[in-house]
Amino acid sequence: MTRLDRIASRVVLLAKLPGNKLRSEIAKELRAHLEDLTEEARSYGYDEQASAWMVNRRFGEPQEIASAFASVYAPERLAKRLAQAALLVIASTVAVVVVIGTVQSIAAICTATSILSTFRDIHWELFGFGAITAGYCSLYAGERLFPTSLARAVLPSVTLGLWLSAIFVWLIPQHAALPLAAFTCAALGRLLQRVEIPLVWFAGTALPLLIAWALFGRLISGWQFPWLVWLGLTICCKVLREVVQFLERFVFSESFA
Amino acid sequence: MPFDRELLKGSIALLILKLLSERDMYGYEIIQESLRRSQEAFEFKEGTLYPALHQLHKRGYLRSEWRTGENGKQRKYYALTAAGRKAARASEKEWFFFTKMVNAILSKANP
Repeated sequence: MTRLDRIASRVVLLAKLPGNKLRSEIAKELRAHLEDLTEEARSYGYDEQASAWMVNRRFGEPQEIASAFASVYAPERLAKRLAQAALLVIASTVAVVVVIGTVQSIAAICTATSILSTFRDIHWELFGFGAITAGYCSLYAGERLFPTSLARAVLPSVTLGLWLSAIFVWLIPQHAALPLAAFTCAALGRLLQRVEIPLVWFAGTALPLLIAWALFGRLISGWQFPWLVWLGLTICCKVLREVVQFLERFVFSESFA
Repeated sequence: MPFDRELLKGSIALLILKLLSERDMYGYEIIQESLRRSQEAFEFKEGTLYPALHQLHKRGYLRSEWRTGENGKQRKYYALTAAGRKAARASEKEWFFFTKMVNAILSKANP
């Protein structure tokens, strides 16, 4: 990579432009411009060092150009981020439904009960599915928004948690405890997945459940197997981590390049 | 004579549209042409020109294409669209009205 390539790439990188095509197009355009500036400097008889100085002076600060480009493409960047967020939420919800459904079905088979009977409270469970997704994804969003500050990274989860508490208590006062515990489990699970010690995040899914159990007692009709609820939430956190990693690698990769 | 750069920033879209209404140009050429015509007074900075070109392109006032020059170099040329021509005329008209009013006020203030 030449010096001119580096300048053009720096602008494009700092501008956080949406899409590889746009990025390479602008880099190519700026590169052509820098070549013209270099030729002009040489035509004045400047040597390599002097022409590099002149090009830098005429071109200006890459950061300044990048922020001007960033504001031009801000709506496209926002639309792309929203589409990615929607994809993450949909993929995560599907994963949660599949995991919990599978765990419940296996439990029903093992206890020789009807699979259909385990899903009789499915309408309440839907709140739980949404809460798990919201808990995990809100913490992930916080990590992306504030990569350098843990205190700030948890802010979206805390805010969303408070809103969900109010909504659940208002909408489903008798059944609010489990989805809220599930939300906390998922968020705490994600938080502890950052810890280097293997499997410590298992505690993240267990602790809120134990607290909820101590405070409210039975949370659901199938509470005779509390470990099953913990197992479902733990597997959910594991699967959600895989979902996030997959999307980061294959779908979101160009945004974070 | 030195002047406030913000004045140039505010009129950059008009200047680009006007220059491109005469012929297709690429970024560096627009800078050179504006320097020549303004007797070196107006020097667009790249941080102003290229984002402005892309903004006008997004609005549908410009179209662009890569062309290979005589020296084999590829450059991105910008040209006005029909909407761009209309916008250029409107902006020019607006500018003349504006400067006329400013001049009218200034001339009253300094009889």
